[in-house]
Amino acid sequence: MHPFAYTAPATLADALRALSAAGPGTKVLAGGTTLYDLMKLDIETPSSVVDVHALRELTGIDTGGPGELSFGAGALMADVAEDPVLLSDYPALAESLAKAASQQLRNMATVGGNLLQRTRCAYFRGGPAFPCNKRRPGSGCGAIGGLDRGHALLGGSDACIATYPGDWAVALLAFDAVVDVAGPRGERTIALADLHLEPGVSPDREHTLEWDELIVRIRVPATPTGRGSTYHKIRDRESYAFALAAAAAAVALDDRGGVADCRIALGGVATRPWRCRAAERELIGGVLDEHSARRAGEAAFAGARPGTYNAFRVELGIRTVAEALRIAGERAVR
Amino acid sequence: MTRLTRVGAREKVTGAARYGADHTPEGVAYAMPVVATVGKGRITRLDTEAAAAVPGVLLILSHLDNLGIIPAGYIMADGYAFQSLQPLLDDRVAYRGQPIALVVADTLVAATQAAGLVRAEYETEPFAVELGADGAETVLQEEAIPLPFLADIVVGDAEAAFEGSQVRVDGTYESGPQHQVPMELIGSVVEWQEDTVVVHEGTQSVGALRGGLARQLGIDPDRVQVIAPYVGGAFGQKNALQPHLAPLAVAARRAGRPVKLVLPRAHTFHAASFRPVARHRVRLGADASGRLLAVIHEVDQQASRHDLLPATYTEITSRLYAVPNFRGRQRHVKTDAQTPGYMRAPFEHSAAFAMESAVDELCQAIGRDPVEFRLANDAEVDPVTGKPFSSRHLAECLRRGAELFGWAARTPEPPRDVDGTMIGWGVATGAYPSLTVPTLARLRADAGGRIVAEVGGHEIGQGITTVLTCAIADDLGIDPDAVTVVVGDTRAVPHHLTAGAWGTNSTLRAVHAALRELRAGLGAAAAGRVDVAAAVTASGRDEVVVEAVTQGPGQPPEMIDRMRAGLVALAGPEYPDYVSFSFVAHFAEVRIEPVTRRIRVPRVVSVVDCGRVASPVTAEAQVRGAVVWGIGAALRERSEVDPRYGGFLNTDMAEYVIPVNADIGRIDVAFVNEPDFVLNPMGVKNLGEVALVGVAAAIANAVHHATGRRVRRLPIMVEHVL
Repeated sequence: MHPFAYTAPATLADALRALSAAGPGTKVLAGGTTLYDLMKLDIETPSSVVDVHALRELTGIDTGGPGELSFGAGALMADVAEDPVLLSDYPALAESLAKAASQQLRNMATVGGNLLQRTRCAYFRGGPAFPCNKRRPGSGCGAIGGLDRGHALLGGSDACIATYPGDWAVALLAFDAVVDVAGPRGERTIALADLHLEPGVSPDREHTLEWDELIVRIRVPATPTGRGSTYHKIRDRESYAFALAAAAAAVALDDRGGVADCRIALGGVATRPWRCRAAERELIGGVLDEHSARRAGEAAFAGARPGTYNAFRVELGIRTVAEALRIAGERAVR
Repeated sequence: MTRLTRVGAREKVTGAARYGADHTPEGVAYAMPVVATVGKGRITRLDTEAAAAVPGVLLILSHLDNLGIIPAGYIMADGYAFQSLQPLLDDRVAYRGQPIALVVADTLVAATQAAGLVRAEYETEPFAVELGADGAETVLQEEAIPLPFLADIVVGDAEAAFEGSQVRVDGTYESGPQHQVPMELIGSVVEWQEDTVVVHEGTQSVGALRGGLARQLGIDPDRVQVIAPYVGGAFGQKNALQPHLAPLAVAARRAGRPVKLVLPRAHTFHAASFRPVARHRVRLGADASGRLLAVIHEVDQQASRHDLLPATYTEITSRLYAVPNFRGRQRHVKTDAQTPGYMRAPFEHSAAFAMESAVDELCQAIGRDPVEFRLANDAEVDPVTGKPFSSRHLAECLRRGAELFGWAARTPEPPRDVDGTMIGWGVATGAYPSLTVPTLARLRADAGGRIVAEVGGHEIGQGITTVLTCAIADDLGIDPDAVTVVVGDTRAVPHHLTAGAWGTNSTLRAVHAALRELRAGLGAAAAGRVDVAAAVTASGRDEVVVEAVTQGPGQPPEMIDRMRAGLVALAGPEYPDYVSFSFVAHFAEVRIEPVTRRIRVPRVVSVVDCGRVASPVTAEAQVRGAVVWGIGAALRERSEVDPRYGGFLNTDMAEYVIPVNADIGRIDVAFVNEPDFVLNPMGVKNLGEVALVGVAAAIANAVHHATGRRVRRLPIMVEHVL
């Protein structure tokens, strides 16, 4: 841990001013569940920390409106996970939060901060004993050719195969969520699909936010697919574990039982939250059954590039998608 | 019998219990180690300039100083430490994660920051961290450590009997590495009070810390006090002196103030021992009727370069069955790691996984029910020595367990639930040697009717305080609240290491003997209720103090001197007139999802023969905890090793996957509860270790029943049954 300057502004406007005043190298602190952890590991070494966790302006949850759901970036994962509208009308969103981390962490972590949770790759977290292009650009990748059981099957590059670890962003991606971002140049809205970056040749760049910008809100357009949805997460233990494979699936059926709309996104298997349009196309306009669900899973993993120890997660992922679709289909409204 | 809830339970759940590192003396400074980032080699340059410039830094200890300490010696070679290697004494790096410097500062923040600024340069060397790696050297145990109890066990002619058997099984099984990962981190608070050094540290062996630190510092052991009233989980990790202690004592002396060290979780994976990799080849031969004729059990166990952990895998596999021909062979494979060591049922868990999986394969090959096969091949006398068992109720464990589990309903074809869930039932047995160590107990009775018992033992969460409180209250017919047990404190009595499940048997022996002395001292009858207050008052003294020292049957008296010196002094399981083991049978049900194949364990039934149950509440808890451990070992836990870098990779509690509550279903525990008065006058054997032995095999056997897949390597994960 390195010394850093710390400010806790009283308002969002003050926070934005403090952020730009502190300059690059500043980190925003919300729940602290990732930042503190990485600071203690010397992976994050911010010169300055702007603490926004107490800003009430950021904690609003509005799931009552007809057109969209809105979540303040500072709302707690635990609170959003228990929102009654989410539980009944968007179970995938509620489940993606409830199946993340532990209750203790969800009581601290915010839904905005969670979007930018950094990878659990052991070579990234392990510090100077290991090469890591994400931590030290140009140093190489310890995971490629190493213990890659948990590493990404989709979206990797020759520089990095670190898995995006989050669940919530995966479910949000399935529902075409957007994030409202505030900064010194005003507010802008980014599609969640445009927030995260694949590693490419610069895995140290993980998202499209500028250093002086802050996520203030997440919005999800209302959709009838919400009710017929699930976040299905397969992991090495039944709680407090990252996904081996996870799928957000959402289905709306027409009045003859055909698939009117379908959303599929993958968690735990890609370098970023991973939307599967091709898999969705497999189903839309057709019938959802065991075979079509399997085909959708196969389409979702068609581009998978397994390494040494993670090939089983292609088959596991296909089956996870199929299971998620089965559960979603049972919940779906006609 | 007094059915007492756990002594200290309230203190623990309310946070009032003070563990070693909770001690914060006035003026305490904080230490943080710097660890090697290469797999092996030599430090060519150590740059501490930036670290020393951090405000508040007091000291940076490394091999560049003369610390004035010597190694404490390996615990299994007449020493005190978990390994013979003492870091910070030279420029060698034997394994990744080895400490290379120790920073001491006014605050934990400063110490941590400065530790992060120490820069080392290395000359690296090739290293080997896996059994099959180039450069990993294999040695035969009976040649490398020529001690009688470590020699290969040979009975009859196992090769010939195996070759001549009508049915044969030949399998290779593997487990480990694993880490103990107790909740309480490794930590210590060291303070010099004039010329005496006082240590607060969670440990299973205050005596080893005392003797070892005295040896390292070159001072009289009477000038070392070690205090550990509570230990927040140890499981073998804290069974010896750790290499941080002597440098910490040097730092405290140089800084002229107390120093506290709490290792970060990641450091604990390299700072102390771990369960080594063990690869077993098991060959079983039987006749067509299902009579076991031959067992050949060969084990390769991971070692460090500097120490060999004496392996006793075959001690139980030669005794689970009445087999006329047995041959064991144990080898060590030297790797570039810290010395592996004792983790709950250190050899027996792994050995039983191999043996009891192989027996399940044999049962399948001959078409016999696995419970019936085991009952038919049960041993009446020790197959190795021909001596009687002090007691053996393994058959009763199997029968009771089968009944409680509903085993009779098992069919060779596994049932399927309506949703396609695969269901499997498995059984396995286990054994663990009844070991005894020299123990001193001192009882103080006062005129208020109170008893203070100072006993050489440690409260490592197993419930020894509760056991002793029960025993004293029951014997004297007094209220348990009138009894105070003091353990884990060198200021009271000398202590032997508490491990290997010998605590109850050993401390109860001493307390039982001391109670006889106390009754005599109080002028009370040999049995029956005692009015302690009246008897002390009648004696005319403020208190009546008695002492007793006990040891294992046949144990030479010099073993008591070893105990007093903090050295290991074990007796058993072979005693002059008998051998003694505890036994267990586990029955497990697994349910495996039809599509994504997650393996769940909805129920386990465990029946234990541990002699008389000394404390029902803590005994049941201990068995449940062991079953949770077994589920972790079977399905969850493994320390990941990348051979390119050495060391361990998944060094935190998010990535080292121990079970959570959601992983655990119903666990039913039963005891045979037949006293074993051959082993000791209280009729108790041991419990804490045997309860784990065989759980993993029962689960693996259930997985095989459910899926037809025989997984011979732990842990069994989703990819093995996909």
